[in-house]
Amino acid sequence: MNVVEEQTANRTRAQGQDLVTKWLSSGTQFDAVIANNDEMAIGAVQASQAAGISMDDVIVGGVDATQDALISMQQGGMDLTIFQDAYGQGEGSIDTALRIIAGEDVDQTVFIPFQLVTMDNIGDFLSKN
Amino acid sequence: MTDATAAQTSTKRKKRTSWPAEFNALIGLLVLVVLFEVLGWIIKDQSFLFNKLRLSIMILQVSVIGIIAIGVTQVIISGGIDLSGGSIIGATVMIVMSFAQSSIFTRAVYIDQGWVDLPVIIPIVIGLTVGLLCGLTNGILIAYTKIPPFIATLGMMVFARGVAKWYTKGQHISFPTDSFFANGTGMMPVAIFVAVAALFWLILKFTLYGRYTYAIGSYEEAARMSGINVERHLVLVYTIAGSLASLAGLVLASRSLTAQAGMGTMNELDAIAMAVIGGVSLSGGRGEIIGTSIGMLIFGVIISGFIFLSLDAYYQEMVKGVIIVAAVVLDVHRQKRRAMEA
Repeated sequence: MNVVEEQTANRTRAQGQDLVTKWLSSGTQFDAVIANNDEMAIGAVQASQAAGISMDDVIVGGVDATQDALISMQQGGMDLTIFQDAYGQGEGSIDTALRIIAGEDVDQTVFIPFQLVTMDNIGDFLSKN
Repeated sequence: MTDATAAQTSTKRKKRTSWPAEFNALIGLLVLVVLFEVLGWIIKDQSFLFNKLRLSIMILQVSVIGIIAIGVTQVIISGGIDLSGGSIIGATVMIVMSFAQSSIFTRAVYIDQGWVDLPVIIPIVIGLTVGLLCGLTNGILIAYTKIPPFIATLGMMVFARGVAKWYTKGQHISFPTDSFFANGTGMMPVAIFVAVAALFWLILKFTLYGRYTYAIGSYEEAARMSGINVERHLVLVYTIAGSLASLAGLVLASRSLTAQAGMGTMNELDAIAMAVIGGVSLSGGRGEIIGTSIGMLIFGVIISGFIFLSLDAYYQEMVKGVIIVAAVVLDVHRQKRRAMEA
């Protein structure tokens, strides 16, 4: 995997859109756009569509699995996202706290397993976030 | 020093200080553009400036903040400051979006009341009213309770952000009607900015409102003694600033097709920076819309240039900080020189 560009878009859709448009205007070629949240990913989709790029040619991925992202996936814009499991994170934190109180050893960082959301399993996540 | 040399030095000094601050800003802009153009050819082997798409995005991205900057410019000229612009954007986008939703979204905010697919004029009017009320509150507090503008607008900044977050308990709002989206397509934001800038250029230069604003900013007591109703004028100034901030919010919401409580954060500081870089003096009484517009373009060039050269965006923030301080240092320096002349 070859990373051609890396920039922040400050988690907002408009900045994500502007950023990808700028890259496109410089003639940057890419096969995939990965964003750290769905808003920026949707911005990337909007920018690509505005530039006439077919969404079949670009893979766009985000994080959160927001309602907007799921609808974007269903419309063929975004391709994948990661489910931001608020319930799991809450549950995990309480469990860890209880274990610390009980005197057990816990890891410095406790990972809540991520769940990849694609068109195959999108139905499970439609009512979650 | 002999009399002849003293006379020579003072004429030389007079020539230098008669350059308007806006001219310095323009030179700064040109220097930056040339710098990025040259670096572009060296590093990226393509032109920075002669690229239609990049130019249009460059201006598009900053014109939303530019609209706030126009409002802030007249506030600063009147001797005050307005820190609430960004939060007014936040509150405006949330409230406006909730009334601009399309019925295709089954979880629309007011779907139970049937307030969906409303004609686009309704969210627009509501949006402008939000800003108007915020600005009015600022103005009344500043003019009549005499608390410093910094504090009053800081309070509004915090309060309005709270409203934005409270409105839907942090959920963001999307799926506006197509007619609402039309306001944000293409170069509409730039067109709106140009219209607002031209309007306020005219107002500040040729109307009584403009002259009163400059007068109050230069020396409030003198303005009061010449019969200007300072309190009423200040209320008007801040109300206009608030309304312009909400206009910026309307444009941002249409562009983004979504509303999030965090939108607009820090935009008021960028707006103030644009004005300051453009030669608007923080001590009041001096500044031009054209200066603020140049300041806005400088911001646009910096943001675009950094991305164009694939430079880390975080350096941008540091560079912005340096430029703002440099601009104010120059401004203070030129004012000291002017005072020595008089």
